[in-house]
Amino acid sequence: MKSALGGRLRIRAMVHVAGEAIPYFWPMRTFIHHNPLYGLEHLTFAEAVAEGSRLFHGNGYLPRANYQQFMADRKIDEAALSSQIAQFLSTQPEIGGLDSHQLLQTLATRISQPLSCQQVNDNADNIHALLNGKPMPQAKADAGALTARLDADMPKSRPIYASVDEIYGTDIGNTLNELVVKSCLDFFDEGQSVWQMPGRDQGLFQAWSALSQHNLRLFIRGLNIKKILSADNTPEGVIQHVMHELGVPEELWTDYFTHELTRLHGWTGFIRWRSNAKNYFWNRNYPADLVDYLAIRLVLGLALLNEHAQNMGTPATFGALQQLYRDQPEITYLRREFNHRQVLPEMAHAVEDAILSESKARISRLLPRYLEHKQAQQAKQGAERIRELASSAGLLDAVTRLQSDSLKQLLETIKRFEQAEGQMWLHAQEARYMSQLFENLELGEPAPRDKRPFAQIMFCIDVRSERIRRHLEKVGDYQTYGIAGFFGIPVGFIGIEKGSETQLCPVVATPKNLVLELDIAQNPDEQALTSVLEHVFHDLKASILSPFITVEAIGLLFGLDMFGKSLAPVTYGRWRQQLHPERTTSRLLLDKLSREQADSIIRSLQRALIVKAIGRELGIEREAITDEMIRELRETALEGLGGPTAFAKHFKLSEKAEQKFLDRLKQVYRIDHGYAQIQLERLGRIGFTLDEQVHFVSTSLRSIGLTDGFSRFVVLAGHGSKSENNPYESALDCGACGGNHGIINARVLAQIANKPAVRERLRQQGINIADDTWFVPGFHNTTSDELRLYDLDMLPPSHLVYVERLNNGLQAASRLCAAERIATLEDHGIEKRPAKAYRQAQRNSMDWSQVRPEWGLSRNAAFIIGRRKISDQLNLDGRVFLHSYDYSCDPKGRLLENILSGPLVVGQWINMEHYFSTVDNTHYGSGSKVYHNVAGRFGVMTGNLSDLRTGLPSQTVLRQGDPYHEPMRLLTIIEAPVAHARHAIENIVKVKNLVHNGWVRMAILDPEDQNIYVFQDGKWQLHSDLADVNNLNMEKVTS
Amino acid sequence: MTTLLLATLFLPLFPSSMVFNWISTRLNFPYARSLLILIWPQIGILIIGQSAQQVLPGFIVWAFASALFYALRLLTVRELGLWASFIASSGLALTWTIAGTASIPDMQLFAFWFSLPAALLALLAAPLAKRFGAAFAGLSGDLTSCVPRLSAILAITILAAIATPPSPGFFSLLGLVNKLDWAIAAGILLIWLLWGWAATKLIQGFLTGEDNKQGATDISRTAVVLYACLMCIFIFSGFIFNGGML
Repeated sequence: MKSALGGRLRIRAMVHVAGEAIPYFWPMRTFIHHNPLYGLEHLTFAEAVAEGSRLFHGNGYLPRANYQQFMADRKIDEAALSSQIAQFLSTQPEIGGLDSHQLLQTLATRISQPLSCQQVNDNADNIHALLNGKPMPQAKADAGALTARLDADMPKSRPIYASVDEIYGTDIGNTLNELVVKSCLDFFDEGQSVWQMPGRDQGLFQAWSALSQHNLRLFIRGLNIKKILSADNTPEGVIQHVMHELGVPEELWTDYFTHELTRLHGWTGFIRWRSNAKNYFWNRNYPADLVDYLAIRLVLGLALLNEHAQNMGTPATFGALQQLYRDQPEITYLRREFNHRQVLPEMAHAVEDAILSESKARISRLLPRYLEHKQAQQAKQGAERIRELASSAGLLDAVTRLQSDSLKQLLETIKRFEQAEGQMWLHAQEARYMSQLFENLELGEPAPRDKRPFAQIMFCIDVRSERIRRHLEKVGDYQTYGIAGFFGIPVGFIGIEKGSETQLCPVVATPKNLVLELDIAQNPDEQALTSVLEHVFHDLKASILSPFITVEAIGLLFGLDMFGKSLAPVTYGRWRQQLHPERTTSRLLLDKLSREQADSIIRSLQRALIVKAIGRELGIEREAITDEMIRELRETALEGLGGPTAFAKHFKLSEKAEQKFLDRLKQVYRIDHGYAQIQLERLGRIGFTLDEQVHFVSTSLRSIGLTDGFSRFVVLAGHGSKSENNPYESALDCGACGGNHGIINARVLAQIANKPAVRERLRQQGINIADDTWFVPGFHNTTSDELRLYDLDMLPPSHLVYVERLNNGLQAASRLCAAERIATLEDHGIEKRPAKAYRQAQRNSMDWSQVRPEWGLSRNAAFIIGRRKISDQLNLDGRVFLHSYDYSCDPKGRLLENILSGPLVVGQWINMEHYFSTVDNTHYGSGSKVYHNVAGRFGVMTGNLSDLRTGLPSQTVLRQGDPYHEPMRLLTIIEAPVAHARHAIENIVKVKNLVHNGWVRMAILDPEDQNIYVFQDGKWQLHSDLADVNNLNMEKVTS
Repeated sequence: MTTLLLATLFLPLFPSSMVFNWISTRLNFPYARSLLILIWPQIGILIIGQSAQQVLPGFIVWAFASALFYALRLLTVRELGLWASFIASSGLALTWTIAGTASIPDMQLFAFWFSLPAALLALLAAPLAKRFGAAFAGLSGDLTSCVPRLSAILAITILAAIATPPSPGFFSLLGLVNKLDWAIAAGILLIWLLWGWAATKLIQGFLTGEDNKQGATDISRTAVVLYACLMCIFIFSGFIFNGGML
């Protein structure tokens, strides 16, 4: 059976809309930092946080106690907080002459736990009575009120099983998640499992439904999914059928779907990303989308609901649930209290007995007593909290004297304040950081240099580059620049012996050009042996049989590996590295191929394939055949020429055998015109035209303001990290290179910039690269702080004498950087000697038990787009993204727009990922690494079955459970005339929205009038004015 | 026979055991409840000693059924005080199985090995109720993170109560299984299994799950040392009296 097309399309549209709030989740091989609330960026930050809390149950701000600790550590601007409270109170009603500001300020800064909750607010009269020593009014067990409360506490659009679980204490939600995760693991596996799920090429829903109908485990559980699946054979039809069975009103479907999808938002995000990644190998071969996924969830959910309804008498439909609230509110209320862990502990046993007895009379007797006790207890607690607050604020008499209505109003104000409080703290925290940073920025023009620097080094904008740049500038005559780590060149890259393309650019871009890496000195035999051994070991590890048959024989080898890694990670790591010596002699294919060259490459590939085919199919060695025979075979296969070939005659092949071999050449080895054409098109992507090369180099250099005064060496330092046993390794790599190492982009730009033809054209554009300037690619390993130069074999002889000095400088900076950084990784925080710290950093990168090899981008706080001189005297503590920019090189603002639309957006994603992983590591982060297991080679789970963990692990953002990362929105500072910068911001819709909706804090440092403008409260304001307002407010309050 | 029937009130067999459990749950003072668990069965054994009537084989079946009933009942109990009473009822019922063959002092020791951990559990209900309003599993989860010392003591005592090695109950039960007819022995192993299951549920209810407590303080180190000493003495006594260490 198949439902109507219109209905199917409607379901598809609903699911599409329902999933929009859930952010993509990229495979962890290339970890992409992203905003967990990306789908809500159309809302203001505060609104999105509230919606995120509803959908993902995550907190958007730190607990108050953390902010209070920040305040004690002078990380919060108290005047700004006070100003925020005043601003909040200006929108609230007056409360009987009470000093509300003093009360709220005390609540925020001296009371660690939130005061308001529904129970406190519902008990205003009782609290008033208790505060004044009067008896409390009698509690009533009103059935209508109970029904209303149940209705309010359990929204209609959430899954029915969620309400059933809450009322009956069943575990349907978790069981459903478990079944869905198992199905997903089976289907989405990318080579981790030895046995693959059958029928995956049919798509997720079809493969799952075919398999699950024979699933013995589901059958034993009593889940009758066959019947549900028989209703329709399309996922859309099944969704429609299930929703009708559940009886959910159609206007609630989209919301219902959203709630279903957010229950495992990691998996949903992964499927969303995957279904849109059209070129992703696994998606091309095994397609899946959210409709498939939702259909599976709904089918299993309905089957579980039916099973529970049959065995336990729980409601299985929307209507039955609503009827339960209406007809049996007393027992339903008590059940929910008990099973949702809200029951009064001292009455828990009595409530449990009453529920189990199901006796109406008993429940009717118990409920009033229960409600009375509960109300009394809540009122008592509420009164105690209010008294504590009022005493701390010195307002006990004033609060006690309040009338009942005024007290109610006060509780309501406190409730609203506590809802808005997080944003106020955040604001005050940002204000402090902003003031500290602005105070120290250098606003004047830079002094002209009398000679060119010894070397200029371009680093990624990454916050980790700030430290090493600062040290380099101190140890020698080095000038440093910051640029997005892909150096402005989006590259599709195929490395040696790699069959797939890696995109080395921010994920918001798609590279048009492909770069191939070619090996010029390989030893195939040696490599093949290592490779074969590795494959054997890997297969043995993966096989379920090998432990029974090989453990005695080779188990010891694995033991040696374990001891080596555990006891001497550095020595053992170096020894292992010798098995995989890094290739230092490869070249990149950068130039576009001519038509003739492309044809020739294809011809030579086809010839190589034919030689391989002859060896494999006929067992004939290469020395037995001639080039002429190969040529003739190729042409015969391509053109379909008749007659026996010289090859057939020579090896006495029958006509049939020859024809069979020719067919194999066409079908298996793809020696045909169609495939040759595809290859030709692919070859067309290889390399850059001269125009493109000039454009990329010119844009990169202009964007950082480097157009003259070139040094002898211009080092392009890409970055990446190296660590052991770390699924999050790529999270420490270059975000601008799509979560990969940046060395390839550095090599590409360097190779292009060293070409005389490119330089000649650049000269015509006004970029004079000195004749003795040489671009050298380098790599900054952020885990060990090693800075290593690449392609030195291409260096002109005239430069060789200076290499030693360059290396010395780089090494000194590396050690100083390590000394500063290692101190932050250790609890006592004492700086070690540079050489010792450097060794420690290297050990961190090789130690497989190290859960925190480096802090990564933790503590990132700001993004400066401007000349280095504004910050070169500051220790920015590795917290600031630095993008070099000289507005005088960008009269039209186009380069600034590029920076804002690319690097800034990536920076904002990184910042938000860290922000949310810190404020709620359980929901937005990924919890502790210690419990993580790799799932399907694309993600991690906590334990053996869980949602795919998105976000960052606690080891990256927390130290001993407290925030190490200080969660703030990215403070972006543009050094440019205000009109110039505003024009660029307003021109890019995405950035404009981020600024206006408060996802980034934007400031403009105008070098012409030497003022700093900040975007706040919907308008641009002078920073000095804002500080004055805060101080004024503070003075008022103090007086 | 009347004397023996009277004894079933003290060395509890169902349904007489309802009296023991009723009194136990009505006692609000934890020390009183502990004393009850310790002394009540000893009175039963003394009564058996006074009886001229030999314990009939039917009592063994009755004791086994009673122990099984309480073991099953344990699976659904979440209140620690009640759990302590029920595990005592289940364990003490097994004392009847040796009533015909063992001496009175041996019976007293056997009962004591099951009474003491249950009495300690009844005591532990007090600090839990004081901190969290009730000693009820599943209401205040994740005790390990907020009151680690109390959690450790609680877990160890529960394990001792279900005769986990090296508690004396384990050796007593092992000896019992060795002596009895295979069918009853298999039944006792089933009861033992049920205790294990119930204990797992109870420990899980208290020690794991979501934390919804604020500012609970742990028990003092002195209390921990006292408890530890008591458990050590208990275990070594078991080695001496059951294992023949001396």
